[in-house]
Amino acid sequence: MTGSLQRVASTLLLVGVSFLLTTLILWASGYRVSEVFSGVIEGSLTATGAATSSIRWAIPLLLIGLGVVIGFRAGFFNIGGQGQFYVGACCALVVSLGWRDGPAPLVVLCGTAAAIMAGSAWSLLPGYLRVRFGTDEVLTTLMMNFIGALVLQYLTAGPMRNPSGTGQTAASERIPEAFRITDGSGVSATALLLVGGVAVLVWLLLERTRFGLTIVLVGRNPTMARWQGIDVRRVGLVTFALSGALAGLAGAVELYGPGARLVTGFSPEVGFTAVVVALVGLLSVWGTAAAAIFFGGLQSAILFLPIVTDLPPPALVLLHGMVALLVTVKFRSVRWRRPGSPAEALTA
Amino acid sequence: MTVPGGPASAGGPAVRCRSLGVSFGAVRALHGVSLDLAPGRIHALVGQNGAGKTTLAKVLGGLQAPDAGDVHIAGRKLPSGDVRAARAAGLAMVHQHFSLPPSFTVAEALELTAARPGGRSVYRRAELHQRWQDDVAEIGGEAVLSTRIRDLPVETRQSLEIMRALATEARVLVLDEPTALLAPAAIDALFERLRRLRDGGVTVLVVLHKLREVAAVADTVSVLRDGELALGPIEMSEVSQGRLSDAIVGPASQADRAVGVEAATGTERRTLLELVRVSSRESAFEPGLRDVDLRVEAGEIVGIAGVEGNGQRSLVSVIAGLDVAAEGTVLIGGADATRAPPAGRRLRGLRLVPFDRNSEGISRRAPLWLNQSALRLVERRRRRLPLISLRQYKQQAAMEMDQWRVRYDAVTQPAESLSGGNVQRLILSRELAPGLEVLVAAQPTRGLDFAATDFVRRSLRGLRDAGAGVLLVSSDLDELFENSDRLHVMYGGRIVARFEAPYDRRAVGDAMTGARR
Repeated sequence: MTGSLQRVASTLLLVGVSFLLTTLILWASGYRVSEVFSGVIEGSLTATGAATSSIRWAIPLLLIGLGVVIGFRAGFFNIGGQGQFYVGACCALVVSLGWRDGPAPLVVLCGTAAAIMAGSAWSLLPGYLRVRFGTDEVLTTLMMNFIGALVLQYLTAGPMRNPSGTGQTAASERIPEAFRITDGSGVSATALLLVGGVAVLVWLLLERTRFGLTIVLVGRNPTMARWQGIDVRRVGLVTFALSGALAGLAGAVELYGPGARLVTGFSPEVGFTAVVVALVGLLSVWGTAAAAIFFGGLQSAILFLPIVTDLPPPALVLLHGMVALLVTVKFRSVRWRRPGSPAEALTA
Repeated sequence: MTVPGGPASAGGPAVRCRSLGVSFGAVRALHGVSLDLAPGRIHALVGQNGAGKTTLAKVLGGLQAPDAGDVHIAGRKLPSGDVRAARAAGLAMVHQHFSLPPSFTVAEALELTAARPGGRSVYRRAELHQRWQDDVAEIGGEAVLSTRIRDLPVETRQSLEIMRALATEARVLVLDEPTALLAPAAIDALFERLRRLRDGGVTVLVVLHKLREVAAVADTVSVLRDGELALGPIEMSEVSQGRLSDAIVGPASQADRAVGVEAATGTERRTLLELVRVSSRESAFEPGLRDVDLRVEAGEIVGIAGVEGNGQRSLVSVIAGLDVAAEGTVLIGGADATRAPPAGRRLRGLRLVPFDRNSEGISRRAPLWLNQSALRLVERRRRRLPLISLRQYKQQAAMEMDQWRVRYDAVTQPAESLSGGNVQRLILSRELAPGLEVLVAAQPTRGLDFAATDFVRRSLRGLRDAGAGVLLVSSDLDELFENSDRLHVMYGGRIVARFEAPYDRRAVGDAMTGARR
């Protein structure tokens, strides 16, 4: 128990140090220290609509982050959340616009299912390459992100384009209002219940099923897992599918929630922030939830900053990056990531 | 004294080691090894696996710093653990595993690794080929300068490795088990090459496993046993094969005492594990199985002896289901399990103590209770809810570890915090649980202290007496003699000899070294 307390403390310390370093840099650039803190507090909590906005951004971070937790626990560095998120949203959009006169609950259900399946498929492709040929999943999932972004761009600039749109960026048509589960704020009871329910399910899966324990064994030592009769490839495929499913679901929630339409390159870094969220959350479900809210707040503060202070938004992007940097350094030193493929470990 | 790389000073040894000692944790790899190698001769170094041969070779090559003692080459003391100094002193090494980059062409690889003076950082292909043309022509065979290393046959790669080592004009050549991967004809060619080098004044130290090969090539032989020099260096003409065998496997006083165990009585003779004419693919480090027939019945311990790397790992992998038999049938509990996945075999009562307990037996960073519970994760018990209670898992793990007297503070501590003996107890507590029909124990006592070793052996015998079947794979002959009801010897992926208690140490040793086919 003391061990896990220590880990939580060291992570909090790390976030604190990031704050300190960021403040130092901004102070050296001529900004007042108090501005940084008031900017963050106001932009994420006290300004009108800021708290809601924090939650709105926490939702996709949590969903994708939980997928990252599952993958990382099994030892797979699935960083393709962004692409999986995009193709999920795209498939939900295709279903919703293609069947726009259908009964709303049914369409939303089908659209969500399509998003989940698309996200899984997008993740399973690199997953299969990983377990079958040992292809490095970091590279493949990363590359799949670019393809996902291009799929989105194709849809929003091509077949699903809103012909009356005059904006500089291509956007799709809006889905019917009846399909939406939140208003433009992105927060509603339905959305919160859905996300909370998913978090509980993931927690049960990871902490209260044999599969959850199996994932940890595979992630820590696939060679030993194989000797124990665990089908490491199957576990790998299932975790890849689950990660993708959660990211795809996040895409659907984005569409039926705050988005209502898809814009080329929307929420461009949510999939990567989710990786940091999972790491700051120490790969635990509730830690990830807490980190998602923290980073949701940060995202909100970045958007609100021009309204509440003189501080430029990139100031907080800096903070964000600092946390990401430090947490990655810490994470690498812990070496959750396996040193070699199961096959190598076996013959060594 | 002579310049480094020049001819050895007249009279003095080419290589002199003085009371070398190397320890890895509690394991003494080398202890008090003093060895003089006369210049211009071929010296063989033999011994069982884990006897310290590779460690000694590494110390000579500067790859391993000794804890005690020093190495002199041509009368000069080497700084310890310095590869470049060893090279500068004229010592070159050919490693057990190939070290040339597979994606390079022959010329590129040589230029990169041979460090011959006169190279430039920017080169043209034609120039490169010219630089290495003569060397490669000397090897003959299929080595063409523009061929990629990975496309070369094994023996050509070996020749290249040696050529690379000699390109620095080495006066001392150390080869670590160069014959392990070679076909007989290629071995003859290699030996011929070594003789030519010797005649050219090079001092050769070659680590070998097989006494036949020693007899074929060596001028002198030295034997390592348990990290100590058991014999030599002694002229080949002055030593009999029997004396060598004895030096390798242990003192004759023990050997002559016929040891065996009484067969368990009253148990029904049921075949629990059977391999029928099983062959498997070779791996990078080991021959595959060739036509292996094997039976383990209820209430017996069947021992597998053999110099390591003769297919023992393939055998256990094929039984465990980690490797698939290319031909033949594997039966577990009388039912065909040739195609069964590892989990299916576990469900039929197969239990395993793997070769390397720290990488295959446990997950070092996972908590104790999870390590202990690993088998419960694959059992196929239907339940109404898929949910489990972690507390129940932890309690059960704690109970079973207590039963096996694993010493720990908390079930949540990582497994890496346990000592070797305790880790093995943890593994036994997991594998020797109800449901066990047949146990495959691979090197179950390696690296354990006396008390832990005794405990493991008693556990295996207890299991046998309770009517289970045990397949014991070990390189410790005493362990095999004292515990096996029957003993098979593996050599080159085959079972080449079968013995029953009481055992003749000499005969077993001969079969292990390939002296008797």
